[in-house]
Amino acid sequence: MSVSTSPQPHEASQKRPVLQLKDLTRVHGSGATEVHALRGINLDVFPGELVAVMGPSGSGKSTLLTIAGGLDMPTSGQVIVEDTDITHANRKKLAALRRRSIGYVFQDYNLIPALTAAENVSLPRELDGVSARKARVEAVAALEEMDLGQLADRFPDEMSGGQQQRVAIARALVGERRLVLADEPTGALDSETGESVLALLRSRCDEGAAGILVTHEPRFAAWADRVVFLRDGAVVDQTVRSQADSLLSGAAAGVSGRDGSGQGANEL
Amino acid sequence: MKTWYHSWRAAIRIARRDAWRAKGRSSLVLAMIALPIVGVSAADVTLRSSELSTEQRIERTLGAADAQLSDSGMNGVPILQPPDGEGYTTVEEFENSGPPEGKTDIRKALPAGSTMLSDTEGNAKLRTTHGLLATEVRELKASDPIAKGIMALTQGRFPQKSDEVAATTHFLKESGHKVGAKLTARGFDREYRIVGAYELPSSLKTNQVNFLPGAFLAPYDKVAEKAGQRGGGASTTYLVDTKSSFTWNMVQQANTKGVVVKSRAVLLDPPPKSEVPIYERSGWGSFETSSAGQAAALAAAATVVGLAILEICLLAGPAFAVGARRSRRQLGLVGANGGARSHIRAIVLAGGLVIGVAAAVIGTVLGLLLTLALQSTLEGWMGQRFGSLDIRPLELLGIALLAVFTGVMAALVPAITSSRQSVLASLTGRRGVRKSSRVLPVIGLVAILLGGTIALYGSTKSDQIVLVGAGSGLAELGIIALTPALVGLFGRFGRFLPLSPRLALRDAVRNRGRTAPAVAAVLAAVAGTVAVATYAASDDAKFKAEYHAQLPHGAAYVQVHEGGGRDVPSVRATVAKHLPVAVQADVDRIVVGDTNCSLYSYGKGCGYYEVVVPPAHECPLWKADPANPESTPADKYTKAERRKLSQDWRCKDGGAGAPGENVMVGDGKLLTVLGINDPAAEKALSEGKIVSLDRRYVDSGKAGAGGKVGIRLISDTEAAEKAQQEGKKVPGEIKSFDAYQMPESTKGYGVSLIVAPATVKAAALKTIPLGAYYSTEKMPSSEQAQRLDGQLDKTGAEVNLHIERGYVSRNNIVLLALTIFAGLITIGAAGIATGLAQADAEADLKTLAAVGAPPRVRRTLSGFQCGVVAVMGVVLGSAAGILPAIGLRMAEERQQTKWYQDALDQGYDPGTAPYFPLVLPWETFLLLLIAVPLGAALLAALVTRSRGALARREAT
Repeated sequence: MSVSTSPQPHEASQKRPVLQLKDLTRVHGSGATEVHALRGINLDVFPGELVAVMGPSGSGKSTLLTIAGGLDMPTSGQVIVEDTDITHANRKKLAALRRRSIGYVFQDYNLIPALTAAENVSLPRELDGVSARKARVEAVAALEEMDLGQLADRFPDEMSGGQQQRVAIARALVGERRLVLADEPTGALDSETGESVLALLRSRCDEGAAGILVTHEPRFAAWADRVVFLRDGAVVDQTVRSQADSLLSGAAAGVSGRDGSGQGANEL
Repeated sequence: MKTWYHSWRAAIRIARRDAWRAKGRSSLVLAMIALPIVGVSAADVTLRSSELSTEQRIERTLGAADAQLSDSGMNGVPILQPPDGEGYTTVEEFENSGPPEGKTDIRKALPAGSTMLSDTEGNAKLRTTHGLLATEVRELKASDPIAKGIMALTQGRFPQKSDEVAATTHFLKESGHKVGAKLTARGFDREYRIVGAYELPSSLKTNQVNFLPGAFLAPYDKVAEKAGQRGGGASTTYLVDTKSSFTWNMVQQANTKGVVVKSRAVLLDPPPKSEVPIYERSGWGSFETSSAGQAAALAAAATVVGLAILEICLLAGPAFAVGARRSRRQLGLVGANGGARSHIRAIVLAGGLVIGVAAAVIGTVLGLLLTLALQSTLEGWMGQRFGSLDIRPLELLGIALLAVFTGVMAALVPAITSSRQSVLASLTGRRGVRKSSRVLPVIGLVAILLGGTIALYGSTKSDQIVLVGAGSGLAELGIIALTPALVGLFGRFGRFLPLSPRLALRDAVRNRGRTAPAVAAVLAAVAGTVAVATYAASDDAKFKAEYHAQLPHGAAYVQVHEGGGRDVPSVRATVAKHLPVAVQADVDRIVVGDTNCSLYSYGKGCGYYEVVVPPAHECPLWKADPANPESTPADKYTKAERRKLSQDWRCKDGGAGAPGENVMVGDGKLLTVLGINDPAAEKALSEGKIVSLDRRYVDSGKAGAGGKVGIRLISDTEAAEKAQQEGKKVPGEIKSFDAYQMPESTKGYGVSLIVAPATVKAAALKTIPLGAYYSTEKMPSSEQAQRLDGQLDKTGAEVNLHIERGYVSRNNIVLLALTIFAGLITIGAAGIATGLAQADAEADLKTLAAVGAPPRVRRTLSGFQCGVVAVMGVVLGSAAGILPAIGLRMAEERQQTKWYQDALDQGYDPGTAPYFPLVLPWETFLLLLIAVPLGAALLAALVTRSRGALARREAT
């Protein structure tokens, strides 16, 4: 739970960041069609911390997330996930990293339609070579921990959108994974369901995971410990919620209609 | 514990459920892969089941007996036999005189205390409900326990009394008789009753009637002999029950008395080679089936299977590509969750694996069920009952693995393609156009050049047809590898086309990954069809040019070669009744010796005649030198002389003098039927002259002139043979006739000499009826000919019927079938590719609709997409198919020309010079190049909905 006003939280001495982005730039195309998606981004995300990334369309939010997860490569700069510099890792290593360290949650259609909830959750473990039975036990445990045990044997098309997103979060954190990259996870949901999904994400971070949440709804950004504002590929502002707010959010998790303090001021 | 197969399990789970979700596509691919498996596994079970074990074979020949003894027919001289009793030779080697003839008493060779059952076989013509049927007569007490297993009773019982018989089911079917009916034989007044039906398990198509021993053949022979005819020609073997086994020693004992033995004990446990003296004789070593022939057959089968698998892979490949494309988002998700390329590949490959395994199981099970359900039909085709249903798990497993292999191979390219797609592109649904491989076209080009060179060498430098075939095959594979690049070339025509075809063409060219396999599938099928069609059409033209009419157009002849000529009048009448006959010319043949001898028979009492060729008319190349009969006459001449002589009138058609039917005893009507309208010839015939159609026989040798023809009657065939070998004059009385030689241009249609019956009678020559020649009012229809064939069959005579229809091509149906096959493949492949394109083009279509394109654009686009694939495949395939056909023809021509020249050098008349026209099958081309693509395009347009679902979701 980072509370300091600087990008470096006060526990920096005790905890190492799960994700470090250093001087990240990404240029699409070249010459006349050159587009600077990211210009010199620096960001550290620590265990237990949920960072919201906000900004208008085209500000580079999604690019930031894809590069952070190794789905895309930066033009320059470094991405360090749990002490591994992934900018120089090969495809195989990147895939392994996504299996073991990084979990993605997209806006919708996160789950593979051919697999049940439990199988979806166990997929990264199975791909990693863990036996089907062991992976399933882990997956069911993870689902039960999030009160989703009753969904274990349902196929995605037998679940509501919110349930699907919550299963996707369970999958993003199965095994040893500690980094969730969520790209507008509530974008396709009504606000009440969206709140419940975020509450789950928040609680997972409180348990020690690190998360980045891309959103353009201030309401949802209020769940975060920190909000990073992007415009034209650069960080233009950062705010940190007060510890009190953070405590409150912890106590009132799941309560809808809550205002993040200082939101209005932080909006660009 | 972390092992690769765990990730495969997840891949298979996804693939299995996906296959189930896309039932239509899956079942289509499954059917494609399973169909050949059904056929191959059914064929395997059928073949294996019809292969009999030694025990089963023994049961079907020996029944329950310990041995079967038969007379070697060599007067009881000691013989040697191989353990299986198939064949034998005498111990003493008779060089010049030949082995002695005569019977021996088999009973002398029997071990003491054994029981025996006689089994006599002969032939007779039995009356059927239609007429007569030449039937095997078998006198065997089939109800005896020793004979158990030889005949399988299907109805009624075996005969118990001498006027009872049983008949094979095939005989009952052919004859129209039923169990309980009366049965009689021609020229024999005894009447028998059919009391049962049976079959011979190893030859279901035999017409056989079973009597009790002595009930038919002996009395029948007696009656026949009295009437001066031949009897049933019986031969007897004995089935022996020895109480103990009939050992190899006992077999050799029996051999010393001239008796051949098939022993159960020896067959089951053959003696070592060292104990079989006959194997020391040259030519009697144990024969092994030629491994070269087997290898060739195996290679041919492997090629066919390989090509079939290639074709199925090319057809099924795009279907997997559609599947992979549809589930792109899903594959992207797997990538986002840490799926490496190998995992993505595994998921798509698992799709092939799942469908392959399903096809293997379904195909093999269906094949087995089909064999079981159709067992009796299959046995009918094979002509024998299965020994037992022989299912070889290993072979079936191998066949099933072929299906799995096909499935995986078909999914291979889509798997690699989709694994290379970036995860991000898959997730966002961006469509990247991948550059096609640069290696494949190079490999293809190398294969084309290499194959082309081999084929070119084969067709121009050597006469090895195999080389041309192998070279063209290699080049064809090269073209398939080059297809993506060739498809790219087609894109250049785009700019000249209106919107819909331009869009279709560009789309096809830009997405070569899915277009190329479909085009290649069409290409392969069309190339094969065009090659075969071109070859067949050319062959057809060749045969037409080389066709020799046996009679004037529309005329017919019928001949019965059997001795006695008893059936001829009814045969003549049958033909006259069923054909639209204008003129019927009955012909007889001259007989020397016994009139019961059949034509070409050299049996006892049978002689033959020969038309004398005057010494001046003998071909110098073949004229034996009496002083030196061993030398080859042609050796005296140089190559050039031999070539010249081979075209000399004396030497044409291999020289004159072949004995046989070339003298026809007939009247002026025969001249009419043969199309000879020469009053002089008719006059000559009625004046008792021989009309000659071959001037070599007439001593004057001049056309339109008179002269003499001699016919030599040879009754002592052995003396004649000896004289011929020694180059001496053949002994025999010569009948001389006045002759009239027809002009050289007159066609004889195989008849050399015609002589009137009265003339022959006056010369005291014996004749018997041979048949008749007919001219017809109009060409007999196929139905008439078939009906006539059926009626002639029922007369029981062996009839030689010919109706001259001119050249009839037999290729048309094959060509049509091939064209239809290629057309179906084309439509199928183009359809699959279109489905793929439609799945891909959803976004384009939405954009098109958004900018205001009318709904029918969707239809026309899909039609053109289908048409584009079909046209590309058909054009490339036609080009690829013509070349090997031309090469093959050229190689054949070289080979034939070489043989022709060799024959000329040797002085043979090889007939007409080799003629190898190249004829293109335009009808096939027209169908393939225009009708098939048009049909494919229309079909695709017809089945495409005008309006697509507007917001189709990517993931499903």
